[in-house]
Amino acid sequence: MSRLRLTQEGLTEWLRRLGNIYTLYGPVLTGSYHEFKRLQDPGEIDWDYSNTRLSPKALFLPPAEKMFVFSMDPDDPERAILKEAPKDFGPRLVVGIRPCDAYAMKLVDRNFITPQYRDPWWEKRRQETVIIGYGCNDPCSTCFCLSVGSGPFDTKGLDVLVIKVDGGFSLSFCSERGKKLLRREPLGARALSESEERSLQDRRAHAEASMPKFWDEKLVATRPLLDIFNAPFWEDIQFSCINCGTCTFLCPTCWCFDIQDELWQNKGCRVRLWDSCMFPLFTLHGSGHNPRSQKLQRVRQRFMHKLKYYVDKYRNGVACVGCGRCVQFCPVNIDIREVMRLMVSHCQCSL
Amino acid sequence: MAQWEPKIIALLCNWCSYGAADLAGVSRLKQPPNIRIIRVPCSGRVNPKFILASLRKGADGVWVSGCHPGDCHYIEGNYYARRKFALLKDFLEYVGIEPERVHFSWISSAEATKFAKVAEEVVDAVRKVGPARYLVKREVEVE
Amino acid sequence: MFEYTEKIREIVKRLLQDRVVDGVIGFRKGTVPMMNHPFFMKHIEQVPQLYWDSWCGVNLANYLPKRQDKVAVVAKGCDSRSIVVLIAENQITRDQLYIIGIPCKGMLDRRKIYDTVRTRGRDITDVMERDGLIVVTGKDFSLGLDRNQYLQENCAICLHRNPVIYDELVGEMVPEQEIDRYEDIRAIESMSSEKRWEYFSKLTEPCIRCYACRNACPFCYCPQCFVDESKPQWVGKTIDPTDTLTFHLLRAFHLAGRCTDCGSCERACPVGIRVRMFTKKLEKDVKELYGYEAGVQLGERPPLDTYRPEDPQDFIK
Repeated sequence: MSRLRLTQEGLTEWLRRLGNIYTLYGPVLTGSYHEFKRLQDPGEIDWDYSNTRLSPKALFLPPAEKMFVFSMDPDDPERAILKEAPKDFGPRLVVGIRPCDAYAMKLVDRNFITPQYRDPWWEKRRQETVIIGYGCNDPCSTCFCLSVGSGPFDTKGLDVLVIKVDGGFSLSFCSERGKKLLRREPLGARALSESEERSLQDRRAHAEASMPKFWDEKLVATRPLLDIFNAPFWEDIQFSCINCGTCTFLCPTCWCFDIQDELWQNKGCRVRLWDSCMFPLFTLHGSGHNPRSQKLQRVRQRFMHKLKYYVDKYRNGVACVGCGRCVQFCPVNIDIREVMRLMVSHCQCSL
Repeated sequence: MAQWEPKIIALLCNWCSYGAADLAGVSRLKQPPNIRIIRVPCSGRVNPKFILASLRKGADGVWVSGCHPGDCHYIEGNYYARRKFALLKDFLEYVGIEPERVHFSWISSAEATKFAKVAEEVVDAVRKVGPARYLVKREVEVE
Repeated sequence: MFEYTEKIREIVKRLLQDRVVDGVIGFRKGTVPMMNHPFFMKHIEQVPQLYWDSWCGVNLANYLPKRQDKVAVVAKGCDSRSIVVLIAENQITRDQLYIIGIPCKGMLDRRKIYDTVRTRGRDITDVMERDGLIVVTGKDFSLGLDRNQYLQENCAICLHRNPVIYDELVGEMVPEQEIDRYEDIRAIESMSSEKRWEYFSKLTEPCIRCYACRNACPFCYCPQCFVDESKPQWVGKTIDPTDTLTFHLLRAFHLAGRCTDCGSCERACPVGIRVRMFTKKLEKDVKELYGYEAGVQLGERPPLDTYRPEDPQDFIK
């Protein structure tokens, strides 16, 4: 299907009408950074944003959510029986996700929706959420999506792709779900002219040309796991790490969680919350033994999981989408791009 | 709803204030029934976590009492406690917890009347500010 | 500050040549603007990597607890005070350290720069500094900013810019500031209980419990943190507002009489919480009640590890 062109007002109006069917989410400036928030009105979206501080994974895997509720009232016949916590899984429309972040959700799907196990909360939220992505005309200096299988206009995780063009936006519909949105007709839309189409391609070429490519997945995938596991460069990488959870909590593809029971008076609930492989407690056994008691082991785990274990397990790319959040916000400047370069050069040297 | 009565956690040193509470009882001194006593080996044993935990679990007030300076069974435990509590009390007030909620006293095992009097004072102070409002952990507030 | 870089390299080269130390903890140039990377080096070939500028805010004392070797460490005023505290707490001995002291004119706050430059999606590609001016460059802009307006908050009110202990300095001592450190704390103290509670609840609201503030601190070296204790569990682990605030209260209280206001906690926070508003209050109280400043004198006992019989006790019945 050809692309449509809308003015910003036209786009906002279209979203407003879609807001009658879907609950809308979008990037808004809160304090000094952008966050995905539930929108009262699509006019709140800041189309000038670069990316949100926290990734949109919180929309599908909240930082903490109730899974089950239970009663501990001795008089309650259903005492201590877990019941699924009631939740709203109504249809949602997330507007303005960057292509890399949307692709990240696809990668996490492979973990949460498998032939064997299906995470009901993740799956329901994914099913009920339509994603309108926002192409990156001007990628950040920390972005490297092109190196890791995504790109500034990647549509793999999107239902609709919006791109800013002169005087408005271009819309392309990349999935059946996306096309269904057209049932609410975007008023004032017209097809892109040939010259507009050309300038869009120029934009794309321009954005892609600005991005570095330094990752060699094939090379790393074919090296034996232990060869990289025991590489000497981990020692240097791990030194500065302070074992906080910033990288994992900001990361769109870090999916690990912890489960806790919370009890208040006679009422309890079982909650799941983000956990991080950077924390020693993450792997602490009940026996007191901790297989990853050393910082080096934990730092290595995070990078190996993303860049080697995931690759070996799914044979479908790395578990990193190049959004650059960890690069920007690691308090001690541990840079995954450097880690990737070191990995590649280690593999080259040991050939 | 039944009329609200303050619940107060009292962390009392085994060697003095706890004895004073005992003596006050034996002496049949009139005391408010709002105090829940936890016996500790020394006021120096009281970790700030205990005080926060009491408030988090919904205590309307917390009262820590130990030996007079110079009389500590462990020679100097209460001196360390004094510094810790001075900072903690001010810190809790600083974040908005009412000063009437957290109390400290020195009461020797002979001072049953002082115990009864301070207990009365603590309960009155807490009664004045009403049921605990801040830092009480109720049902977890998550999605 | 390039002369500092040169001097650091010169000192380290000598130390390694003469085998005075086993290794060196310093900075190398970061991979993104306004960040430098703490690293540990042992070989003379690595000396040219050593680097210093106004973005070396990370407190390198954080890498010292429980080390067994002898190391040289690059230390600003606040870092040197942290080292004094770590020595008092038996985390490292003075003999194990060769302290390369940095007379510091204050580290810069990248968050403030971002707020000025980048709120409208503008990306910063390079930042340079000369003669009190910061030159911020992006793809299609270049901006000169006054250095003094972009100091980290803790640096703007720092009273110990010069290292308090050192083996060697990289430059002339800088003049110390005379400044009221507690203006903002007093402003909060003068509010009502309700307002203060509101203020701190709002302050900690964005917290995601990543523990960057805790882990960036040189004094958070407990083998097990109270948040990880489960019998009993002192504080819940979710982002429940009460739990989050409890975490921040206990974290700060644990630093009473120890914090040197190096600002590492605040700098590390990915969501920009001013966590120093907790620690600074305790610092103020410790100073007013016990006349103590953390880490300014080697050999002094920490204030909560000592007492005076005449300590104030007006608050005790």
